[in-house]
Amino acid sequence: MCAEEVGFVEKYDLLGCIQCGRCTGGCPVAMRTPLNVRCFMYNTQNEDRLEELSEQPEIWDCTTCFACAARCPKGLEPLEVLIGLRSLQIEEGRIQPTVRDALESIFKDGNPWSSPRAKRMDWAEELDVNILEPEAEETTDVLLFVCCTDAYDPRVMKVVQSLIKVLDAAGVDYGLIGDDESCCGSEVRRMGEEGLFEMCDEENVELFNSYNVNRIVTISPHCYNTFKKEYHGLNYPILHYTELVAELLEDGKLELDKELNNVVTYHDPCFLGKQNDIYDEPRYILTRIPGIEFREFDRCRERSLCCEGGGGKMWVETESTEERLAEKRVEDAKEIGAEIITVACPFCLLTLEDATKVKGIDEEMRVIDILELLAEAL
Amino acid sequence: MKDIFVLLEHRRGEMRDVSVEMLSGAAKLGGSVVAVLLGKDVDEFANKAAGYADKVLYVNDDMFENFNAEAYQKALSALIKEHDPGMILIPNSAQGVDIAPALAVELEAPLVTDITAIEMEGDKPKPTRQYYGGKLDAHMAMKDADVYILTVREATFPADEPSKSGEVVKVDNPVSEEIAYRKFLEYVEPEAGEVDITQSTLLIGVGRGIREDKNLPVAEELAEALGADLAASRAVVDAGWMPSDRQVGISGKTVKPKLYLAIGISGAFQHVTGMKSSEVIMAINKDPDAPIFGIADYGIVDDLFKVVPKLVEKIKELKGA
Amino acid sequence: MNVVVCVKRVPDTAESEVHIDASEKDIDKSRLSFGINECDNYAVEEAIQIKERLEGNVTIISLGGKDSDEVIRMALAKGGDEAMRLEDDAFVGGDALAVAKALAAAVKDLEYDIIFTGALTDDDGFAAAGVALAELIGVPHATYVKDVEILEDGKKAKVGRELEGGLMEYLEIDLPCMLGIQTGINEPRYASFKGIKQAAKKEIALKNASDLGLDASDVGEAGSWAVLEKFTPPVVGEMAEIFEGEPEETAAKLADVMKEKGLV
Repeated sequence: MCAEEVGFVEKYDLLGCIQCGRCTGGCPVAMRTPLNVRCFMYNTQNEDRLEELSEQPEIWDCTTCFACAARCPKGLEPLEVLIGLRSLQIEEGRIQPTVRDALESIFKDGNPWSSPRAKRMDWAEELDVNILEPEAEETTDVLLFVCCTDAYDPRVMKVVQSLIKVLDAAGVDYGLIGDDESCCGSEVRRMGEEGLFEMCDEENVELFNSYNVNRIVTISPHCYNTFKKEYHGLNYPILHYTELVAELLEDGKLELDKELNNVVTYHDPCFLGKQNDIYDEPRYILTRIPGIEFREFDRCRERSLCCEGGGGKMWVETESTEERLAEKRVEDAKEIGAEIITVACPFCLLTLEDATKVKGIDEEMRVIDILELLAEAL
Repeated sequence: MKDIFVLLEHRRGEMRDVSVEMLSGAAKLGGSVVAVLLGKDVDEFANKAAGYADKVLYVNDDMFENFNAEAYQKALSALIKEHDPGMILIPNSAQGVDIAPALAVELEAPLVTDITAIEMEGDKPKPTRQYYGGKLDAHMAMKDADVYILTVREATFPADEPSKSGEVVKVDNPVSEEIAYRKFLEYVEPEAGEVDITQSTLLIGVGRGIREDKNLPVAEELAEALGADLAASRAVVDAGWMPSDRQVGISGKTVKPKLYLAIGISGAFQHVTGMKSSEVIMAINKDPDAPIFGIADYGIVDDLFKVVPKLVEKIKELKGA
Repeated sequence: MNVVVCVKRVPDTAESEVHIDASEKDIDKSRLSFGINECDNYAVEEAIQIKERLEGNVTIISLGGKDSDEVIRMALAKGGDEAMRLEDDAFVGGDALAVAKALAAAVKDLEYDIIFTGALTDDDGFAAAGVALAELIGVPHATYVKDVEILEDGKKAKVGRELEGGLMEYLEIDLPCMLGIQTGINEPRYASFKGIKQAAKKEIALKNASDLGLDASDVGEAGSWAVLEKFTPPVVGEMAEIFEGEPEETAAKLADVMKEKGLV
């Protein structure tokens, strides 16, 4: 379905909007950009203005964090209106070159990082991993879906490598897709490329269903969210790795021997917390690590501040002189005396780590994934 | 062995270096070297070429006041038919590639473009050229013919000192009709930017390895720590990440800083040409086979995003000390 | 204004290692990503912008195997109207001349005002097929083109060629003509998936050598100026002194050299 076929008013239930402004009031990027999502809820009711509205650069400032939808008293999803406007731009083909290149790369090579498909498993070069066979007779417990960012980004690779260590230590029966693995499309949908997202949905569902497994575990909350809520016809339950690891700890399958004497905080990723209510598992895992002193951010759980990594923002730079939200976030972490910010999302990892560098506190503060900390504690 | 024709290249009152390089190289292939000069009142170039050639064929005509590929082609084709050389060398420049393929088709003469070396097998050249942006050398076998055409990459041959005193022969313009279908209009200088990188003593060259414009701060921090200016490869400029006045290479600027530190630049010829005369060249690239390491003095084979931040720290330490 | 654009599907080797295969005449392409040749992508965009300004149609032609349909479809999705793919075993191993001959035969019966090619290809970099094509079909040409303006009467174009040092040479050229397009002339648009799907409905006319009236001796190696004997790794000058170790160490060594040389 595309925006032109069904009008915006109908598609996004715009007449249900009471213009209360809670969306804009709760919008984290409204602090640093001109984006006023309430105005878009109103202005897009006029179909004649859609083209003009789609050309406003601030529609690309939205990180699709879901704060607006979570706060809407009428149950509307204002962020979707912005995605709808992005779709109009996508159809025209007039988008930032970085977005264009990311989308073309997904179409051609199944990842947004302009890397060849054949290099997808390079992260596992020195590891002994099990690649699943489709239609296998024996059931494998876990299909581990590696996010494109974990597979290709040299920094984030360490996260999936840590997960392999953890799974091996716990004796988990898991398998990987290998080079045939393709982007989940979560960012594709949020950048407004509906058609390409449908392709991701169809092709991945067919691929996943061809394996004989009990469940699918993702590393990125973005993959998790899209598989769980946006895919059609998936046969298997979807878990985020924090759910699996919490289960392993609870069942006594994972032993953490090493004491780590650090003050650690945890940054709730929007796509895991706000959008999927997974708040307790990451905290459970962290507090099980011997020696860790866990401190909460002031803004935590559903109030967690978006890092600005989602919604296609890895490929779109926001023009703003105001401090990035990720920079605020690391300052907050410093204030509570954290030595380590843990995350459970590749985008949060990259944006927050960058922010420590910009703030010049990367010496004193590490940003790592929970999995990396776990691997250290093994 | 038949004569070797060398087409001299000049533009706006200057003979380009590649002309003398080709004459010097041709002299070592055997056979007489005949410089071909098409121009308007460029006796000076004819005399200079005579120091390197056994003969200079000089067509002095209004038609050649400015470059016109179609006029050049017609004149060359007539001269070749008249003088029957065995080979013609043309610069692999924006002028040369606008002439050579059409000339080759017209004369049914085999052409190999952008050559980086020639060996002779009797009268027949066996050129080497590069594929995949300089990542491989390709050895080419040309079809048998009366005359061979090669376009020669800049700096393929070193320029020698003049050692000949060839005769300058003024010939009438063999092209009688006016070229009405292609007319030179004007030259337009590239826009000047805020920093003139040709004057910089320290330069950081940023290539495609930077991946996205939002990663530019990585390079900017390094530039700031070092007190260097940023330069860019063609890919980075084409992507719109940096302004075109920062572009180093054949279609950009030629720079000779004390230090050129190439980050994420593979070292395609088109870039290298613009910076190879830098005093010290350092390169950081994750591909161990990247041609940049062939011209760099020092290199690190690693991900620039890992190395550059560390390098910034080290430089800050050194500067602080 | 009818425009023909010739495009080629090539491996992207800019950021990848290139390995010679056992034949010594080709490279191992198994770990490479493929896409439209970079200059050609700009040529497609330029053609579509001309069509948007002046109407007419855009025909995409590519010489290559079935895989090339992907780049053709993307060009169609961006606004191309018709497409032709030239495929024949006899075409294999052809150089710029052989390709130009096939293209010349392909455009023979088309009505066009301009033919665009990329100024050069990312793989062999001959930078010759377009200009050779122009000579074969007898139209004027210009290559390394970084600016195109169709003049008011639609019979001429003002064209800017990018020379060494970024200097632009402007010229006026009669149409029909062949222009070799350089990168950076415009900003290529995105082909949406929906557009590509719709473009999949457009027919890509398939032509082999005999459809084009070409003899086996015209094309492939037989129809070429030269053939590739073998690849070798490039002869490098004195290799750089490579520092080994973790980023921490290598960066320290590089910084030390900077200090030694008085650069810091």
